[in-house]
Formats: sequence, C-alpha cells, structure tokens
Amino acid sequence: MKEAQPPKLAEKFLLLFLKNDLAEEVLGDLDEKFHSMLDKRSVRRARRNYWYQVLNYLRPFAFKFFKSNSIYTTMIGHNFKIGYRILLKNKVFSAINIGGLAMGMTVALLIGLWIHDELSFNKHHENFDRIVQVLRKDVEDGIVEVNSSLVGQVGVFMKETYPTVFDKVAMTFFRKSPQLLTVGKQSFDKDGYFFLSDAPEMLSLNMKAGSRDGLRNKEGILISETLAKTFFNDENPMGKLINLNTRANLQVTGVFEDLPTNSEFGDATFFASLELIYDEENPFVWNNYNMKVYAQLKEGVAIEDVSVIIKDIMKPHRDPEDGPMELLLLPMKDWHLNSTFEDGFQVTGKRMQYVKLYGLIGIFVLVLALINFMNLNTARYQNRGKEVGIRKAVGSLRLQLINQFFAESVLYATAAFILSILVVYLTLPWFNEISDKGISIPMDNLSFWGICLIFTLVTAILAGSYPAFFLSSFGPIKALSGTLKQGIASVRLRQGLVIFQFTISIILIIGTITVYNQIEYAKSRPVGYNQENLITVRGRSSEFYQKYDILRSELKRTGVVTEIAEANYPLMTTLGNNGGFRLMETDEPYGFSFNTIFVTHEYGKTTEWELISGRDFSRDLGGEETSIILSESAIEKMGLEDPVGKKLVSRWEFRGRSKVFTIIGVVKDMVKGSPFEPAMPLMVFASGGSESYLFIRIAEGANYIEALPKIQEAFERVLPSHPFNYEFVDDAYMTKFRSEERIGSLATFFSALAILISCLGLFGLSAFMVEQRTKEIGVRKVLGATTSNLWRLLSKDFSILVVLACLVAIPLASYFLGSWLEGYEYRIEIYWWIYAIAGISCLIITLLTVSFHSLKASLANPVESLRSE
Amino acid sequence: MKESKLGDFEETILLIVGILGEEAYAFKIAEEFETQTQRPVSIGAVHSTLSRIEEKGFLTSEMGASTSERGGRRKRIYTITASGQKALETSRNLKMALWNQFPAFAGGKLNFSFQ
Repeated sequence: MKEAQPPKLAEKFLLLFLKNDLAEEVLGDLDEKFHSMLDKRSVRRARRNYWYQVLNYLRPFAFKFFKSNSIYTTMIGHNFKIGYRILLKNKVFSAINIGGLAMGMTVALLIGLWIHDELSFNKHHENFDRIVQVLRKDVEDGIVEVNSSLVGQVGVFMKETYPTVFDKVAMTFFRKSPQLLTVGKQSFDKDGYFFLSDAPEMLSLNMKAGSRDGLRNKEGILISETLAKTFFNDENPMGKLINLNTRANLQVTGVFEDLPTNSEFGDATFFASLELIYDEENPFVWNNYNMKVYAQLKEGVAIEDVSVIIKDIMKPHRDPEDGPMELLLLPMKDWHLNSTFEDGFQVTGKRMQYVKLYGLIGIFVLVLALINFMNLNTARYQNRGKEVGIRKAVGSLRLQLINQFFAESVLYATAAFILSILVVYLTLPWFNEISDKGISIPMDNLSFWGICLIFTLVTAILAGSYPAFFLSSFGPIKALSGTLKQGIASVRLRQGLVIFQFTISIILIIGTITVYNQIEYAKSRPVGYNQENLITVRGRSSEFYQKYDILRSELKRTGVVTEIAEANYPLMTTLGNNGGFRLMETDEPYGFSFNTIFVTHEYGKTTEWELISGRDFSRDLGGEETSIILSESAIEKMGLEDPVGKKLVSRWEFRGRSKVFTIIGVVKDMVKGSPFEPAMPLMVFASGGSESYLFIRIAEGANYIEALPKIQEAFERVLPSHPFNYEFVDDAYMTKFRSEERIGSLATFFSALAILISCLGLFGLSAFMVEQRTKEIGVRKVLGATTSNLWRLLSKDFSILVVLACLVAIPLASYFLGSWLEGYEYRIEIYWWIYAIAGISCLIITLLTVSFHSLKASLANPVESLRSE
Repeated sequence: MKESKLGDFEETILLIVGILGEEAYAFKIAEEFETQTQRPVSIGAVHSTLSRIEEKGFLTSEMGASTSERGGRRKRIYTITASGQKALETSRNLKMALWNQFPAFAGGKLNFSFQ
C-alpha cells in the first residue's frame, strides 16, 4: 500500500498565508507530526490533526503581509473601508439590511441542510448503488397495485437460479413491530429487523465488536452501540444473553455502530435471524406474502437487465384464477424519495415533492431578502447620489463605482452569513425536532464551507447588482446640483418587488392556515367508536393466550374497568386484508377485499362501536363461529339492501372454519387506518380468545393515577411474568397526524420569517419615503392638514401594493393548495374566509409597519422641517 | 523598552529547549511539552512562542542540516542565549525566595534542593 501523505489541500492552504521563509521548517515539522500520528492513530485522525495544526498557524507572527503597492489591492482595501464606514454611519439601516439578509440566509441554510439530508438518504451504505428491493405489481379489480410484501421463496429462487446476477439476497419479515428484549430485570420494546444472514454484509454494518457473520447462527443477535450501552453499560456485551419476547435466549455475537437516522434501517437497534419468527420447518414458500426481499447485485450488472430476468418469476406459481403478477426492482436510491407508484408506474414520490417544495420555499424566502436589499439601497439614491457625483467629478470610472457598491454588498452578505450560521446553530435542535431529523452542521467538512463561501458571494452579487448599476449611472452634474429625480421605471420596479414579496407572504399564510385546517378537520372526524379511556396491551408470551377469561373477571373486579376484549391486531391499523367473498346466491365474487379482524365477543362493548342494525356478538349464543359483522361502507360497496341474515361464501377457509358466514349486524365505519382516507370495508369475525392484542376500557370518570396501578396489579396477579406495557388508543391515533403536523410547523416557521423579512423591507422603505417628503408634510400641515389626513396620505401607497399582492396571491394559492389537498381523500374546501384572513392580516401588518414612520412625520412640528433651508 | 519578562508558558518552553539541546526544534519541543505536562499543544502555538522569545533575545536559532526524513526539509534549531539563561535563573530565584517566605514551608522544615 502507498504510504499515506498529508492532505494536499491543507498544505496549499498553509502556503497561501504563511511567510515564505517559514515554509520549509513548518512544512517539515508538520510532516514529522503527521507521520508520528500515523504510527499511533488512523490515517483519518492523522489527516484531521494535520488540518488542526495548519489552522493553528493562523497567527500574526506567521502571516505574510499583503503590503504590496499594487493599485488594485489598495483600491479593494479602500472600497471595503468606505463600505464599512457607510455601514456604521446609518446603523438602523444597516441593521435592517443585515438582519433581513441573515433571516433569508438562515432559511436557505436550514432548507439546504434538510435537502442534503434527504438526498443523502441511504448513501451511507457502501453498496448503495447495487442494493435493490424486489416489489410485485399485481392487478386486482382492474387496479394495478405495487406492493412490497412477497413470498419468501422468491428470494431463495433468485439466489439459487441466478448466482451470477445476485451477490446477496436477504429476506426480512414484512410486518415490523417493536420486540420485547429482556436482560435480567430490564425489559424494553425495541425496533429491530429479522433478516437472513447476508444482511449485515449487504448493509455494510460498521462492526464495533464481533463480525458481520453474527447471524449465521440462529441464536445470534447483533445489537447497536446504543442498545449495548442501555443493557450492559460499560461491560463487554459480547457473548451475553438477551431474551426475545420471553421465548428465545439469544447470544450477542456483534455490536454495530448505530446506523444514521437517514437510513432506511436507521431505527434498527438489533438484527436477528429471520428463522426466529417462523415456527414452520421451511418458511420460504410460494403462497404466503409475508416477507420483504432485498438483494445486492453483482458488480457491473445493470438493474434494467435484471428486471427483465425476474419479471415473470411468480408466473408458474400463481393460481390461474388470480390476476397477473410481475416482479420489479426498486434501486436503493429511490427507496426514500421516489417509492410512489401510480397505475404500476413509478412517479415522483411524495418525499421528492416535499424536497422540491421546500427547495422552492427556501429560494423564495432568500429572494425576499435580496429584494429588501435592492429596494433599500436604491431608495437611498439621493444620499448616495452626491457621493457618486463627487467621485465622478474627480475622475472615477463607472466600473470603479460598481466595484465600490459590490464591495459593500459583499460586506453586508458576509456579516449576514456569520449571523445566520450562528442562528442556524442555535435553532438546529428545534428544527430537528419539528422535522424529525438528526441534522448537524458539518463543521469539519471543508466542502460545506466552500459551498457556504460561494453561497455568500452569489448572494452578495445578486443583492448588489441592481443597486450597483443603478446608482453608478447618475450623471455628476445632476447628482451634485440636487435635481436628481428617479425615473418612473425604477419606482415601478420597486413597487413590483414589494408586490412580489407580499404575494409570497400571503401565499404562505394561506398555506399555513389551510394545513392546520386540514389537520383539525381530520382530527374531528367521527371515528365510529370511542377512543378515550381505552388502552392496548400487546400479548407476548403463551400464558397470555390462555388466560383471557380469568383476566377479564379479575380486571372487571377492580371496579375501574368496564370491559375488555382481544383482537388479532391493534385497533389503530388495518392489517388484515382478505378478498374472494361472494353472496350465497351469486357465483361472482366481489372484486374488492375486506379489512378482516378476529375479535372476542366483547369487542363491540369495549370499543363502543355504533351498531346500526342487527345485533352484536353474544357469548350466550355459543361460538358464533359463522357470524360476521360488517361496516356501513362494506354494505354500501356490496350494494346490499337488507344485509342482516344474508350469507357470504369465502373462497378459503378461515382458521379451519366453514366457508359460509351469516351477517348478523352492521356497524358504523371505524376509522382505523389513515384518518385522511375513506374507511376500509370492515368484516369482523368472532373469536373465543387467544388473540395477541388486549383492549381495556377504563370506566368513565375514573382517575388514571388510581386506575392504572389497580389494573396493573390485577394484570400482574393473573400474569405474573408478563410485562404490563400499555398504550392509550387516542395517543396512538394522534401519531397518525404527525407528518401533517410537521408540514404545519414548518409552514408556520417559513411564513413567519417571510412576513418578517417583507415587513423589515417595508419599514426601511417607508422611512426613506417619509424622509423625502418631510418638506411636503410640513407645508401641508401649515396649510391645515390633520394628522389623520397625513397618515392616510402616507400609508395609502403601500396599502395599494398589498391589495394588488392579494389579487395575485389568491389564485396562485388556490391552485397550489388545491393540488396539495387532492392527495387526501378526506379533505376540506379552501374557504373564502381563509383568503380574507390572510389578506386582511397582511394589510394590518403593513399599516402597522408603515404607520410608525408616517405617524412620526405627521405628528412632527412643521417648524422643525421647514426651518432648515 | 523591549519586553523582557518571561511568561509561564514561555518559561516552560525555554526550559524544554534547554533540555532538548541539539534536538530543539518546534515539532520536538511540542512533543516534549505534551509528554512532560500532559497538556495538548499545537505546533503553531509553540512556534509562535518560540519566535516571541527569540524577539526578546532569550533564544537564537539557525537552520540545521537537511536530512532525508521530512521530505528533505531542514529544521530550525533553537539555542538558549546567555540572557535567556539569566532570565531563567532570575525566575527560579524569585520563586525560591517566595517559597521560603511561605509560612508552611519556612524555617527549613522541608528540604528543597534545586540542583
């Protein structure tokens, strides 16, 4: 291997500022330091240390001084000096300018970091460009659906049949849920993945102890560094035993470095063997869609070629009655941002749309800040005009003046950037929380600072270009004689820019209100059952399944429990899906599938669902094995007139029961899946018990602080070794709004900043406008104008601009938000009052901002303003 | 007037220059400082201190011979001057005098010997 060398860039940087006669000895010393670091530490550390040493040479004694007599460097120095003096001369103006720019840059930086995080999703995995997920595309009822659940045998078949194409194939259990891990007395519910043994290698886990082969043994488990810390503190975790779901004892065979949060598997605290989940001898079959299949392609194999190979793998193994099914590959780069399919074709994913939307917002907010800068600078044309006149009179060229103005904008932009980096640093924890991210400023990343430098310069040039060309264009005689009039064009341009600013602000306000309305609307949607006072406990061990009856009587005896029930999955999901039912009288099965669930007889009483017709399950009537209860929308979809008593025939047997079921009741729709989508047609089967999710209805008015310990005590009396980990159903329901609430908070943040920036600009503009009209106001006052007359006169101009902005913003907002809302089945209209609120609030804010100066001017004593001639 | 006082850090560096003798150049001095005091220091910080002491006249320096190590680059070797020697002694004497007035140690109960 080639011997590692000190980083070239650092050397170049050092030579850039270091005195020439120091170069030899310093380079020698640092070289020696680098090699002595190499002996003890990694190359990375040594390189980082080299940078550290170089930066520590940024000391006065080592600098070469730019004391050249070149006219250019002198001029540049002069430009900055003048710029600095002007900055200090008008402090309020400079503060508005820098503050506004800094706000715009803060938003741009935050959004930039966010987008970078999104785009680098999964890139952490070494084989990023070779990893794919296998998906299936099937046609049901004429609708093409793309799904990720697959039969396990597909993976086995792929690996065995095409060893030259697939390097590694790894299957994992389709349904992921937290698993109960226990060491000694500590138990935690933790997220993790059950995988085939190739997975750690495929995901290039960074092992801190043990090896990536740790899953070759069925009883092995790989745990994350964090989990190792939780369970074993500073002890060596290797070889320790961890109990999984009170069933299996697993031995720690490796510790991996936590995956970054922007990885598909970022929530993994452990990886264990897939075989642990399945009791069957061979879980890899052709007819059970219970796995996800991932694969790593051999080097140099094109995804398009592989797609052709695997397309028809399922064909020979399908029931001819079922619709056609094709397999396809989704490369890892599309997993996060572009995994949306419509009619079987890949379309721009929702995440990708957000990346674009936020990118657009970031650019717009920055543009708002740039506009402020342009407006404020050109509005001061009279002050700067004199200076330009004198400079030109003594022989300045226009180019030199342009340079002068650019130097100023570079100065402002740099100050703003420093401020904004500080603000970003302070607000990142909060930003991470609302955007559910783990972003940090990449302080030690040189390219980040490089990009920041370019970003600052581009901002400076964009902000400074118009003022530079506009201000340097004045003729010296006009400028000096004080007859400088600005053309109607530049006034119009400035007004146009203000309209643009307020258009953006109004659109953002309307957007924020609409997002919150949509969330509130969905939250208050009737769900068809009572979510309050209801808790869920997940069953873990076999004893849980046998003690339903005794648990029920014990819990009810506490007096704080009205009823309990069990079901085969949680209340807040729609996991069971089955099709292939038909009415007894017909031969044609329904073309849609039902959301099926098995529940104990008390389910209705526990959830307090609303029975519309027929009856509930009843324990007194025996097993009820052939009874089903349907929901309103199911009846509607089936088109049944008088459902109770009708018989349905299933194509398959359910749990070894008959294939014929009688409808005994109809309930109101239960919203269990997404609150933004229509409720699925529900079909409820009765079960005698032995289901793994327990629901407990706490008595109305019971005090949780007293009730919960009582319940826990009764629970632990019946099931002494079973953990009593409960979850409130209404809390679980609220998590379904999280991603919408996230959009809401971000939208609020962006629109607040947009308004603030626009107002800052307006504040500055109104100050200059009033200043210019001081004399006019004085004369008017002397002639008898009242304060309110003057206030109206001065505020009118800006109000008209805001009204115009409203007219532009409203159609744009209704277009954008209309298309956003279209993504939700259950959605609000955009009401007219939202537009009214946005417009009026903008107008009020504008008037308040402008009034500060216009009132000040109209209250002033006219003697003051007229005296100074 | 030219500054001629010796700061604490400067004094330590000066002593290390004395200890290292022929091998006294910035990198070695920084290494020695770290092993002796267990405190991290950058070469730049040491170098800047060395040049400051040199300005005060307590050190002289010259470029050494070139070696095949460090890419054939020469080192700058520092040596203590007579006034440097004197400054160190003054500083030591001052400290000794102060220690002797320290009540807990006065009266020769503790036998310090500085050789």
